[in-house]
Amino acid sequence: MDFIVNGFLHAFVLLFGGDPETYSAIFTTLAVSTISISASLIIGAPLGFLLGYHNFRGKKILRTFVDSMLSFPTVVIGLLVYAFLSRRGPLGDMGLLFTIPGIAIGQALLGLPIVIAMMATAVESLDQRLKNTLLTLGAAHSQILRTTLWEARYSLALAAAAAYGRIVSEIGISMMVGGNIKWHTRTITTAIALETGKGEFSMGIALGMVLMIIAFAVNFSMSGIKKRAGQ
Amino acid sequence: MSDVLYRLSNVTQCYGGKTVLDISDFSVSKGAIVGLAGHNGSGKSTMMRMLAFLESPASGKIYYDGKLVDIADTKLRREVSLLTQEPYLLKRTVAGNVAYGLELRGADNIESTVRDSLNMVGLDPDLFMSRHWYELSGGEAQRVAFAARLAINPRVMLLDEPTASLDRESTLLIREAATTVRDKCGTTLVIVSHDQTWLEEVSDVIFRFSMGKIKE
Repeated sequence: MDFIVNGFLHAFVLLFGGDPETYSAIFTTLAVSTISISASLIIGAPLGFLLGYHNFRGKKILRTFVDSMLSFPTVVIGLLVYAFLSRRGPLGDMGLLFTIPGIAIGQALLGLPIVIAMMATAVESLDQRLKNTLLTLGAAHSQILRTTLWEARYSLALAAAAAYGRIVSEIGISMMVGGNIKWHTRTITTAIALETGKGEFSMGIALGMVLMIIAFAVNFSMSGIKKRAGQ
Repeated sequence: MSDVLYRLSNVTQCYGGKTVLDISDFSVSKGAIVGLAGHNGSGKSTMMRMLAFLESPASGKIYYDGKLVDIADTKLRREVSLLTQEPYLLKRTVAGNVAYGLELRGADNIESTVRDSLNMVGLDPDLFMSRHWYELSGGEAQRVAFAARLAINPRVMLLDEPTASLDRESTLLIREAATTVRDKCGTTLVIVSHDQTWLEEVSDVIFRFSMGKIKE
């Protein structure tokens, strides 16, 4: 039991003492997750909007495919991205393996189905009166699309929060594509796994606390957004 | 120049194979107040959507100001505005809702127009402009929606049961604003209402609907 108590005490020392190794993992996590969530939103939001807004042949199949991708294991995404980015892979020449952009690509693929699926659902469930209201106020087609997207903004924020929660807590992609290189691609989750394996609980606990704070902040913001989205 | 604004000729509308509207001849004069009466499901709201250019007829022709209507024509749609019994408010402030149509048109003096429109429906701009859509009662939301239509000063205002779920004060305000806009701006009004007394009081002509057809 002592090692757990000591682990917590030492964790506070690491966090409040500004331990560079601990903060390197935190900053790497924040950097990579910011890039990946941005990419997921930039690509996923318009795709989700189009999927939800338009009716076309094969839409149900596409929706089923996107929904299936929600449960895609992170290690499998890591494996596929690794295969593409490794020296023998089709994108090997880009030198992205074991880099922050490399991890971000994998994490963006993880967040993409969440953003697309949630955005499509949000647009599909928008009030049926919206389009007629915009038409009767004189909106042209492009103005209807823009306003509809704006009306779904709270749902988009909800999708972003959900995707970020999944991205920031994943380990499979960061470990396989990033390689867990100290000072370089070591993230909070890969550092926790490594340090715990080495019996160094204090850094694991310190980083675990940071991860919990991030998760709590994401959930807290989601509850606020959910309330606004439902009004 | 003809005095006729709308003319419908042999217009029908069908939903799911069932004919819900069958109008052989119908016309509305410029600047008139036209009442549409009839039971629920008699075709009045379908007629209003046609007049608002929200849907095309299954057959027949609709002429507006002498020209055959193309509902994809945004310029044409901007001449007409529809207010329904339960209007949708955008997820914005009251000012944002009332200003929306003006912003689409690139209008000048948006704030003063918004203020004037809110005053017309009895809402104090200083109190209401910054309120959000979720902070309004049903009656206030209806008045904001009406103010949004007044702000764009359409040539035709279509009011589909605009006061059905409102209290007496809101009802009187909306009715007064409707007649004022006709008197001041020459706006053509087409009103659907179950309140026969009001319809007979304000309308120049009343069309009674039954089973999708005009009875008289």
